[in-house]
Amino acid sequence: MSQEIIDTVTQYCTKNIPVTLISQGAEAAIFTTPVHPYLQNTNEDEVYIIKYRPSKKYRHPTINKALTKHRTLSESRILAKLFQIKGIKVPKLIACDPYNGYIWLEFLGEDLPNGFGFSNLKNYLWMNATDSYHDNVKNTLVKVGEQIGLLHWNDYCHGDLTSSNIVLVKTESGGTWEPHLIDFGLSSISNLVEDKGVDLYVLERAIISTHSSFSDKYNEWILEGYSNIYKKHGKAGNQRLTEVLARFADVRMRGRKRSMIG
Amino acid sequence: MVNLNTIPPKNNREYYIAIGLEGSANKLGVGVVKHPRLASHQSGDNSHICKAEILSNIRDTYITPPGEGFLPRDTARHHRNWVTRIIKRAIKEAKLTDPKLDIDVICFTKGPGMGAPLHSVVIAARTISLLWDVPLIGVNHCVGHIEMGREITKAENPVVLYVSGGNTQVIAYSENRYRIFGETLDVAIGNCLDRFARTLKISNAPSPGYNIEQLAKQCKNKDRLIQLPYTVKGMDLSMSGILAYIDSLAKDLFKENKKNKLLFDQETGEGLVTVEDLCYSLQENLFAMLVEITERAMAHVNASQVLIVGGVGSNVRLQEMMAQMCRDRANGRVHATDERFCIDNGVMIAQAGLLQYRMGDVIKDLKDTVVTQKFRTDEVYVSWRE
Amino acid sequence: MTTVILPQFEGTEINIALYENVKNSKEIRAKIADLPYALIDAKAIISGEQLLSAIHRALIEVNYNKMRTKSLHSECLLCLSPTSNIGDAFKKFGILDNSTSIIAVHIGAKKEEINYDFIQGTCIEFTDENLGRLADKDYISKIYKLEKTFRPETNSDLSRAVVDAILLRGL
Repeated sequence: MSQEIIDTVTQYCTKNIPVTLISQGAEAAIFTTPVHPYLQNTNEDEVYIIKYRPSKKYRHPTINKALTKHRTLSESRILAKLFQIKGIKVPKLIACDPYNGYIWLEFLGEDLPNGFGFSNLKNYLWMNATDSYHDNVKNTLVKVGEQIGLLHWNDYCHGDLTSSNIVLVKTESGGTWEPHLIDFGLSSISNLVEDKGVDLYVLERAIISTHSSFSDKYNEWILEGYSNIYKKHGKAGNQRLTEVLARFADVRMRGRKRSMIG
Repeated sequence: MVNLNTIPPKNNREYYIAIGLEGSANKLGVGVVKHPRLASHQSGDNSHICKAEILSNIRDTYITPPGEGFLPRDTARHHRNWVTRIIKRAIKEAKLTDPKLDIDVICFTKGPGMGAPLHSVVIAARTISLLWDVPLIGVNHCVGHIEMGREITKAENPVVLYVSGGNTQVIAYSENRYRIFGETLDVAIGNCLDRFARTLKISNAPSPGYNIEQLAKQCKNKDRLIQLPYTVKGMDLSMSGILAYIDSLAKDLFKENKKNKLLFDQETGEGLVTVEDLCYSLQENLFAMLVEITERAMAHVNASQVLIVGGVGSNVRLQEMMAQMCRDRANGRVHATDERFCIDNGVMIAQAGLLQYRMGDVIKDLKDTVVTQKFRTDEVYVSWRE
Repeated sequence: MTTVILPQFEGTEINIALYENVKNSKEIRAKIADLPYALIDAKAIISGEQLLSAIHRALIEVNYNKMRTKSLHSECLLCLSPTSNIGDAFKKFGILDNSTSIIAVHIGAKKEEINYDFIQGTCIEFTDENLGRLADKDYISKIYKLEKTFRPETNSDLSRAVVDAILLRGL
């Protein structure tokens, strides 16, 4: 299957746009390319992301077509909306072909020093595991919380908020990291506290499962940043924060899933 | 370390025998299963190769007239009327001469399911337990399906798609629990199909879902799919909206509501869509959603096998689509069982119950035999796997 | 004149020329229907990225969906627009009698003859600096309906919001 997807994408992009597969999930495959679809590169090191949603053979062609278009668009639309919200950091949308299921995006992040891999939150926390309570770590995690807070305050839910979907970008001065959220494939506009609670729970689980020794402190910092955003909005903000946090505790208690009747 | 031989079989035999009683919905099933006591079960993760021998598998389904569903009270009465006869037949077919000496454990469905039918069956289970002086074990219905499926297909660690009248779940094993990765947010897939069959007023025998499958096969416009809502939400799915929509289409079709542009040509008034087309489109849409969330779960836990269990699992089209998805994934394989084991039965309860029994888990007091309508798959501690 | 070939659509050549101090907009408009070019008022364009993303989208629409207008040139104007109304797109992005800066675009097979001599003005380099200077940012914010929701701090932020609108128009 992988090879088939690579062949399809290679054919679509033509020989002028060499692509490299970097990850493949159930729904989409992610490629990188050094070629911009319509601008001349000014910087040779520049790379771009191509996200491709392959059609599924098990699905009726009519469903395939409608889904590919709908999902490609809805992800692009959310990225466009989020960019306009002050403070939220998401990758830039470059191009989008909903008929074939392609999205071109700006590539964010870099390789961490000493072989710790790509600069997502997960690897960053591994890198800092020896000095995990350092102020820089706290600073970064509070900012992560602020990003999620901004997202939720504006009634967007990520839907797949794992530590690999938070990418850290070095600030221009080089000293600190700026968290950016990526992969909005499962995101939606939602004012339901349940969805927000689940987002927070999914991230908490991800942190516990990969960085269990320090997870309490980490999650505390994330929530600190999250609360900062809500508290800026006075009484209404505090009330909404209480609701979300109560539901988050509730979701944690029952392990995400609702109770079920036969 | 898992030791399935914790409890020795009765009377120094080299095998275990369990009887299972199932009646959580409209099927009443009694089955007898035999496990040889093997050295390979002393240690290691071998609960999927019990070498189980099915001595009998008797079932009676409460079938309602077309257009009607089964109500708890009537279903419970059906089970009460039949349970003694079915138990007797199962014992006879299994060639058990004296259940008192032969049977190690009596297994019953503890839940989830409809309250009244569950009650009828557990009363029968308690009675024979006292009568024969054989211990009881309460089994989670979903776990019963999973264990039966694993035993029949020998799938070691599959992602399980459990699709029946009351449940729609994608399950994967992790740390002694069958964890639910995705599930329906409203009605179950089987329930959705059953209710649509009621709207179409088609026969409930042998099962409404089977008849929808047959109608779908006869669809002549397979390239002209009727677009229905596609409601996958992350790992979960929702089906009530789809049902409401296709129900309204079917009603318009029967009423010959010529204003409906989707169903009738606005100029000639000719019908564009048949009942067969509706069945086909409904199946294609619902099953695509099921396969999609199953694939997500597979990617998540990095699994290559899928096991489909539950009544809807006997649908050939669903199996086909799942097989296609697995072929497209590296080394993927799909396992499905036929209607004998897909549809609720007593053997699966006996199989899961016997595993529990062999790990030393047995009910000590009758007050612990209370059945429950709510019983999540992930509440069960799976001691028989590593 | 700048020549661009989009890597994905190799057979198509795009020629872009930017003019300022144009004196004969009225004349050009009179014969605009016969000219095989897209003529765009430069005050509506903030960056090369904006124009090229629209051309890229036009080529995607034409290749994978359908052509909504009569030619690639009018398709290009439509793709610049945040709405799907063709007349509206011409009004907002096409030139007016009093336009003083013009972007002329030709999209076609390689080696087609191109002659922008009919424009009486100063041809300057098609760069983001020049475009930024000629652009009317308030006008751009207004036509892309950004003024209520979004206050860009830089030209590149405005450009990014505009590109988003171009990519998602009518979908």
